[in-house]
Amino acid sequence: MAGKRRSGKRALSTVERVRAWAEGYETLGGIPDEFIGEDGLPRPHWLQFLNALARIGQEEIDQRFAAADRHIRDMGMSYRVLGEANERSWPLSRLPLLIPEAEWKEISAGVVQRAELAERVLADLYGDGRLVADGVLPAAAVAGSADFLLPLRGVSPPGGRWLSLYAADLGRGPDGRWWVLGDRTQAPSGTGYALENRLVISRAVAGLYRQLNVERLAPFFREFRAGLTAAAERSEPRLCLLTPGPWSETYFEQAYLARYLGLLLVEGEDLVAAEGRVHVRTIAGLKRADVIWRRVDGDWCDPLELNAASRIGVPGMIEAIRRGAVAVANLPGAGLMESRALLGFMPMLARRLLGQELRLPNIATWWCGQASERDKVLHSLEEMAISGAFTETVPGFDDKRIVIGAELDPAERRRLAAAIGERGIDYVGQEIVRLSTTPLWEDGRLVPRPFVLRVFAAWTPEGWRVMPGGFCRISDRPDARAVSMGAGVQSADVWVLAKEPVEMATLLPGDKVKIVRLLGNLPSRAADNLFWLGRYLERAEATLRLVRCLSGRIMDAETPSQSTRQSIDHLKRLLGSWGAVASPAADLTATEIAISALRDEQNYGSALAIARAARRAASAIRERLSQDAWHLLGLLEARLSAEWPAIATEPQMLERTEAALQTLAAISGLLGENFNRVAGWSFLEIGRRLERGINTCRFARQFAGREATAENLDVLLDLIDSQITYRSRYLIGVALAPVRDMALLDPFNPRSVGFQVARIDDHLAGLPSLGQDGMLEAPHKIALELRTDLAIEDAEGIDAGKILGLEQRLTSLAEAIAMRYFLHGPNALRAERFTGLA
Amino acid sequence: MIYDIRHITTYRYEAPVAATRCTLRLLPRSDPGQTVIDSMLDVTPPPAGMAEHRDFFGNRVVILHIATAYRELRIAALAQVAVERPQSPAPGLTPAWESVRREAAAANTLDAASPVHRLYPSRRVPFYAPATDYARASFPPGRPILEGAADLMTRIKADFTYDPKATAVSTPLAEAFAKRGGVCQDFAHIMIAGLRGLGLPAGYVSGYIRTRPPPGQKRLEGADASHAWVSVWCGLEFGWLDLDPTNAVMVGDDHIVIAIGRDYADVSPIDGVITGSGDHKLSVSVDVVPVR
Repeated sequence: MAGKRRSGKRALSTVERVRAWAEGYETLGGIPDEFIGEDGLPRPHWLQFLNALARIGQEEIDQRFAAADRHIRDMGMSYRVLGEANERSWPLSRLPLLIPEAEWKEISAGVVQRAELAERVLADLYGDGRLVADGVLPAAAVAGSADFLLPLRGVSPPGGRWLSLYAADLGRGPDGRWWVLGDRTQAPSGTGYALENRLVISRAVAGLYRQLNVERLAPFFREFRAGLTAAAERSEPRLCLLTPGPWSETYFEQAYLARYLGLLLVEGEDLVAAEGRVHVRTIAGLKRADVIWRRVDGDWCDPLELNAASRIGVPGMIEAIRRGAVAVANLPGAGLMESRALLGFMPMLARRLLGQELRLPNIATWWCGQASERDKVLHSLEEMAISGAFTETVPGFDDKRIVIGAELDPAERRRLAAAIGERGIDYVGQEIVRLSTTPLWEDGRLVPRPFVLRVFAAWTPEGWRVMPGGFCRISDRPDARAVSMGAGVQSADVWVLAKEPVEMATLLPGDKVKIVRLLGNLPSRAADNLFWLGRYLERAEATLRLVRCLSGRIMDAETPSQSTRQSIDHLKRLLGSWGAVASPAADLTATEIAISALRDEQNYGSALAIARAARRAASAIRERLSQDAWHLLGLLEARLSAEWPAIATEPQMLERTEAALQTLAAISGLLGENFNRVAGWSFLEIGRRLERGINTCRFARQFAGREATAENLDVLLDLIDSQITYRSRYLIGVALAPVRDMALLDPFNPRSVGFQVARIDDHLAGLPSLGQDGMLEAPHKIALELRTDLAIEDAEGIDAGKILGLEQRLTSLAEAIAMRYFLHGPNALRAERFTGLA
Repeated sequence: MIYDIRHITTYRYEAPVAATRCTLRLLPRSDPGQTVIDSMLDVTPPPAGMAEHRDFFGNRVVILHIATAYRELRIAALAQVAVERPQSPAPGLTPAWESVRREAAAANTLDAASPVHRLYPSRRVPFYAPATDYARASFPPGRPILEGAADLMTRIKADFTYDPKATAVSTPLAEAFAKRGGVCQDFAHIMIAGLRGLGLPAGYVSGYIRTRPPPGQKRLEGADASHAWVSVWCGLEFGWLDLDPTNAVMVGDDHIVIAIGRDYADVSPIDGVITGSGDHKLSVSVDVVPVR
């Protein structure tokens, strides 16, 4: 394609192309813009960027960005809109936000100042409260925040700091200077997305990225991690990232950061507080957690002392903090600094605590709990934006986030004034600001769109460090007042443009690192999910084999023999008891049953339902899977859920089944080749082998009973994928005893039950033991006994009863494994629940 | 007056419960006007760990850890408490409610007694305009705060029906308000919501009240109950004064305080995280016996 153009049409020159992109770019009156400066001329660094981009050529640009889109999809970059079941793919602007080094220095110094100020205010308010006693800050401007957590008062922070990670949302004020729109101190999100955005954009326009001397992000993360490590009491601490779980809006980011920074990704259930310390539940027992980077909001961290309704916290965490036994970043209660009521006091607090003026002004804000401020707001209500002082929405005004005085009718304005008169403490008035704009790429043109820039500062042993870049959100609505990820919002990479070439850097630590071959201990929840991922993958394969077998039998004969009909009936029955088709399935044709078993999600045993279950299990351990594996799991689901033609034919059905089986094989191959051979691998394998063993027993009961015909035995060999092995070993046709031996006992057939049991036994032998006495643990005993029994059994002696017994012993083995290694026994996730006692 | 108090809570589970961590707020606090002479907790099965601390409001909180599996959990709280409260001030002497509101917004302490912690919506007492509108009738301009609060209390007693079947522990404020019925917890929450809506600090108090058997009858064993009422901040000079909207009385020597907080969630007698399945049955028996 490249180079082919319609004849007669001259290729645009670089300058013309840039001119075409910028044509019609009209900044909004009085609102600063990143591309066009106050003098009405393009800013030089933007011209430099656009010229360099234009030199690449339009078609190549399109190709590069199409590749970037694929990359985003393949990596599974996503976010969730609260209340939605599916994650959304990540919308990334083609154009980065550009900030020259000199300007960045100002921003950076301002953010450091503000981070330090927030730290000192928190230390004061949770400490001796001088600011309040001295009348600098009214107590009511503090206590209104739901994040002023009373149990934290008087706590001295383990690690010495309230804040480890601070963020400020910035925009350009009407004077062209950068302004602070809000402080983020709870658990700022966006660092991981910033990193991902960088990865995608720097690949898409690699040449430009080098040419423009863009500051690297990796050193920031290295220093942030060093800061977390330094907060611990021990020298080689265990660092955890506490996530609210896969339903969280930014779970993708959390899993990504855990993997990138080498943190243990844990949910509340994975942690247990005992004797004033916090521990991770692992398959080797309880292991101390030294530092917790929390993404769970403060109030939800501990149901014993904070919100009793929380199911995502750790009972006893606050007590452990009080005793100094665990460092939490940021400390619960730090979210206090996000309340708007405090914004208006920031200039005064900076003077008082730092002896400095704010380097970055914030929006002028008046807290209506003070008489003179309230009067000012009430007098100029028409020029004000009113917001909740402590709440997301304006109290008394439904779910509005902001109320503009001028936009209210007189009755509503009177109602607002009365509410402010009665409980001014709940409201702030703010000057009306419009968000400044930056170029967004829209249908081959640049358009100015409102944006918010989030800049991060991390506390490190060397002081505050600012990420040179950030997380930028751009709205596609020209008049947006707030920008949060959701419909019509894109994120953008942020480039800090250095004057000199920058050094290459990755997360490789500079100093000497002790070599570790086994990584920590596997959390019980991760073991549980890996085990089930293994089981679901195997179960999906079994379902697909059943369907393939059925389709094959239907297609083979126009008028099937008595024996084929019997096999078809058996297969139908199996799919019914499998849960792959709705029972009773008697009145469905074999073809209908096969299709239903593939794609009807409401049937819990259908291939699609199982593929989804596998993906759910995988999503809870996403930080342990490669992007490729995650991508293939998505592909498997997509193949099974794709639209079917109105009348599906058997060949089509067979084709889809084959395609899905191939994807499964690719997943197995990928996991087998690149999954670390530590405990996690064992659980994946144990799950898979147990499932295979159980399924083979079920198949054998159906097709290798005493009355089994040659046709039945043939089906069994198909189902356990052992046709070739059988034919190569036995020159005679199929016979009952050899087939039974091959399915159940043969230690050299990787599909036999005996083979599965032997592998499970090997894996269990390699797992950590709780006791010091060298005695076998319960699951290992069962596995070893089973292995021995199968080794000495001979095929002649096997009957249906024995196969059933075997299946039941495998089931008890699964239960014993769950009881020993997972959180609370076989049905933990379903049975465990919170009980509010009184 | 000296009281012997016995408060026994029993949970019976259908299936064994594996592990329990719970927070108990069952031991009364000593305050001006109330002295705890003796108090103890008796728990079966015996807990693996039991530690007492004071929460932010100075309440006695016991965190309990039971490691053994059980089907029945029995928590007995025993206490002897001497109560002798000062006379309430004459309502007419308390400051106008508007000035109390101003003083609260301008308070310069974050200590537990500060009005600010009980000035804002809390877990169980959210913003609720109808309760504010209801309370407003008791507060014409310039009325002394205690007069207004006592009037509101009396109106609640008159307008709301005491009906244990109308609500449960978890019933939201709005539902009880709409039903015009409930129990002490609901009345306290409604009164708190109304006062806070007007910018006046109000808190929740849990405790017991002495019950007097009808003339000629004996006191019924275990038939007393937990009680709850409201604490209203009456300005810097008078501080917190307690009013009981269920009985429309000022809190006096018939009331014994266990714990104070922003609402029920802060003083809930037993909060717990239970690992186990199946339903449970709960039974509670309370005796409040005056000994001298």
